[in-house]
Amino acid sequence: MAVVTLEKLTKFYDRGPLPAADAVSLEVQHGEFMVLLGPSGCGKTTTLRMIAGLESISSGTLSIDGRVVNHVPAKDRDIAMVFQSYALYPHMSVADNLAFGLRRRSIDRAEIGRRVAAVADTLGLTGLLQRKPHALSGGQRQRVALGRAIVRDPKVFLFDEPLSNLDASLRVSTRGEISKLHRRLGATMIYVTHDQVEAMTLGQRICIMNGGRVVQVGPPLEVYKRPLNTFVASFLGNPPMNLLPARVAEGKGRLSVKLGGELLELKQRQYSALPAGAAITLGIRPESIAAHASAGARERLAGVEAEIVQIESLGAETILAARIPGIESELVARVGPEVGASVGERRSLWLDLSAIHLFDATGALITADVGASPA
Amino acid sequence: MAALKRAVLLLLLSLYTAFAAGPFVWAAMLSLRTTTEIHRNHFAPPNPAHWDKFAEAWFTSNYGVYFTNSTQVVVSAVLLLTLVGSMAAHCLARYRFRFNRVIYFVLFSTIIFPPQITIISLFQILVQYGLYNSKLGLTLVYVAIQLPLTIYILESFFARIPSDLFDAARIDGYSDWEIFWRVSLPIALPAVATTVILNFILLWNEFLYAVVLITEEANRTLPLGIQRFIGDTQEDVGMIATGLMIAIIPVVVVYAFFSERLIQGMTAGAVK
Repeated sequence: MAVVTLEKLTKFYDRGPLPAADAVSLEVQHGEFMVLLGPSGCGKTTTLRMIAGLESISSGTLSIDGRVVNHVPAKDRDIAMVFQSYALYPHMSVADNLAFGLRRRSIDRAEIGRRVAAVADTLGLTGLLQRKPHALSGGQRQRVALGRAIVRDPKVFLFDEPLSNLDASLRVSTRGEISKLHRRLGATMIYVTHDQVEAMTLGQRICIMNGGRVVQVGPPLEVYKRPLNTFVASFLGNPPMNLLPARVAEGKGRLSVKLGGELLELKQRQYSALPAGAAITLGIRPESIAAHASAGARERLAGVEAEIVQIESLGAETILAARIPGIESELVARVGPEVGASVGERRSLWLDLSAIHLFDATGALITADVGASPA
Repeated sequence: MAALKRAVLLLLLSLYTAFAAGPFVWAAMLSLRTTTEIHRNHFAPPNPAHWDKFAEAWFTSNYGVYFTNSTQVVVSAVLLLTLVGSMAAHCLARYRFRFNRVIYFVLFSTIIFPPQITIISLFQILVQYGLYNSKLGLTLVYVAIQLPLTIYILESFFARIPSDLFDAARIDGYSDWEIFWRVSLPIALPAVATTVILNFILLWNEFLYAVVLITEEANRTLPLGIQRFIGDTQEDVGMIATGLMIAIIPVVVVYAFFSERLIQGMTAGAVK
């Protein structure tokens, strides 16, 4: 186990003026499962490769357990990495693939054999030890790649999108295995993915990156429920958070927001910093919108008139897309299976006022005044 | 219908085999007959078969010396080519450094020069360095002329090895030198085998450089030895055929030994 600390870690490549990773600061705790999440090209893999020692660091400091390792070669950082392509040596058997890293570390042969056997047993590879990688299925190769990391018993595990080459069902089961592995080993793990489901299910904390920068770090549910900007809000969630243009209808104090023709009163929160007439973005998750509201519930909900433009029935739930007059973007709602709506119908959709997020013109979250009820 | 298809395929394959193997079989028959017998009938079977001609060629006609010389020169050249070529190819394919592509282009562009252009200057250089008429000189020339093609073939193969494998080996604790020997080279074996066969066959049969750069009997290679039996007015066809068979056998052996790898090299491509 180890603490991995990144301080303003920056990476410039020769070919571009913009940094691939831009002042990335992050502290991964002992035994923590940290997920670096972001779209392609956001710098998450570059950051991971800098931690691994596979990329040089242009500026900033990387330390493992308090020791600065900027110039320490990959082999001396005591880390193991699982690659997206698995990176199994094609000319070696499974047993040799597992033992390859140990042979370099002056461990005696009997010990290597014992460790390889133990890892093979844990991962169900015992019967495959003499096979070459090309004779294995995708899932088996993935397990060998995992085994190669585990057998080294490193301080830090790094994963670079290890599930993206697996089919959907195998991905779910391997996800579970990685999670179990983390619980069993209790090791520090840093996991790169662009898949938000993997991030939400595996990570103890998620570090969301965009354009080479860290945008938000926090536990999965916190990041999901309280996105710090419109990027995080729209990146997490499927369907993503609705982001609708709105205006502040009144001055300081208790706030009303004009959404299309509707006036929504946000009674529970105070935003003294918001001037009347300011253009803002209103964010609300699809699951915070209901198709029906009982009389008792209407106190904390706000009804908006909308025309249903699309209905996707998914069995356990229904995804409704609706258009609010005066607003171009569609409002997407995730409602129960028996919604009883039809395309073209105009009806009220009920927005949970406590789940509304407001973002300013730059896309940053507008926080309510201290002392007011949080969202 | 399937049987007809099979019959047509078999017929075509038999015709191709006859076309490819015919000259070989004919030369093999000639090698067991005397020149007088051959002049009487070019295509008659070797009856009786003069196996003693091989011993005569080897000991009396100096083929033993030619064969040994050829083996020494070609095996050393192929070994050097494989070693230097694969290292250079690994380096050009694996590492990003300034002028990487320029070096690659300069190396590869040398194959556009026909040997006749460079042979006089090569002759001068070898004389100056005291390497003229020596097996070492010929070996070095062979390495030089075949290196660009060797690097070209190997570089394209090395470039297809995913860089993740090198990264994994680095994390596993291996140095660049060890990664070359323990990861790159074993994975590239099919391509290496391809270059071994190509270089071996081309150099084993090489005549032009050998005839210009070697004149001493003791240093002659097999193609020069065979040429000795071609006179201005008459040819010892029987002995030429025997010499040819002696010359062909190593090529067949090398091909048989490496052919499976050669086919892998041509078809595999993917590094799983």
